[in-house]
Amino acid sequence: MKLKLVLALVLGAVSVSALAGQAEDQQVKFRQSAYSFAAWNCAKIKSQVVEHPETYNKDQIIAAANSVAAVANSGLGALYGPGTDQATGWKKSRLKPEFFDKPEEAKKAGLAFNKEANELAKVAVSGDVAAIKTQFGKVGETCKSCHDSFRIKD
Amino acid sequence: MSVNIKVWDLPLRLYHWLMALSVLSAVITGELGGNLIDWHGRIGVLLLGLLVFRLVWGFIGSTHARFVSFFPTPKRLAAYLKGQWQGIGHNPLGALSALALLGTLAALVLTGLFANDDIAFQGPLFSLVTKDFSDKLSGWHNLSFNALIVLVPLHLAAIIYYARVKKHNLVVPMLTGEKVVPKAHAIELSGGGVVRFMAALTIAGVAVWGASYGASYFESAPVASTATAAEPSF
Repeated sequence: MKLKLVLALVLGAVSVSALAGQAEDQQVKFRQSAYSFAAWNCAKIKSQVVEHPETYNKDQIIAAANSVAAVANSGLGALYGPGTDQATGWKKSRLKPEFFDKPEEAKKAGLAFNKEANELAKVAVSGDVAAIKTQFGKVGETCKSCHDSFRIKD
Repeated sequence: MSVNIKVWDLPLRLYHWLMALSVLSAVITGELGGNLIDWHGRIGVLLLGLLVFRLVWGFIGSTHARFVSFFPTPKRLAAYLKGQWQGIGHNPLGALSALALLGTLAALVLTGLFANDDIAFQGPLFSLVTKDFSDKLSGWHNLSFNALIVLVPLHLAAIIYYARVKKHNLVVPMLTGEKVVPKAHAIELSGGGVVRFMAALTIAGVAVWGASYGASYFESAPVASTATAAEPSF
């Protein structure tokens, strides 16, 4: 009887500790997936607009720009819960702990991505390759500025 | 008795100033990012060519361009620190600084060729390595940059120190190639003729070509749907 009780307690403790951090890990997994999906779409834009303009396909670029904007507009901030700098998604998060000390700056970085990605979706519809290229560069700058401020360089 | 003598050959001087300009441009484009990151990549390939040229010129260039003539051996360093070193090319301390700069730039260029910025830029040889290894090399690229931002100001500070304190102008010789030296130390430059220059240039050109096109065989455009927006598709 006593043994069973001890066993139950031990098993309970083990499963609780296994669950700890699971929500944070899940958030990191979602956000890494979101940025990977955006990266795939950015790679298509880079290829067709910047590197090989002869392959430019207006519909595909509109779809790609809309996908990037959809990621930006999806409310990614919800995936940056406390403790997610220490969590592991597909791999260990590289979020700097400072992210949580500078909520205003973090919000600004997120909103900058939002603004430029939405503008890119708008410009993509115009079919003006030069304008898309310029705007694509501006989106990239918002990625970089957030990476510089809040991502650990490994 | 002092004489005006040729110290730095023309290819070396051209190399030096092209290097200074390219490094400055690489730093600026790398820091700004956005579409300029593509120029950062192109300048990196140019820097590879310059570094390969310098490496070759270090063996077949004229007297003071050759590594053997200025390599900072412990003996030379000790003599210099005691004030006994006599020579007219790189002094041993300057040679140490030059080699540190060259090594750092080589590390930056070689890692950069395989690097990626996790946005939309990949170095020209990215497709030859795994993403994980490219990430690691990108990290080393960033680390090496820390060495560069220490060494470049040190290089500039040393030039100012030599001009102000030791009354040695190092900039003019790097422009004109000529230096006023005590007659006892004056030796004529030898080596580094046109044929050798063409050879070094060719080797550098091969390196640039290899870095630019070496991986193109393995590259592919990102997978994109072939469907048009008019019809729903997967």
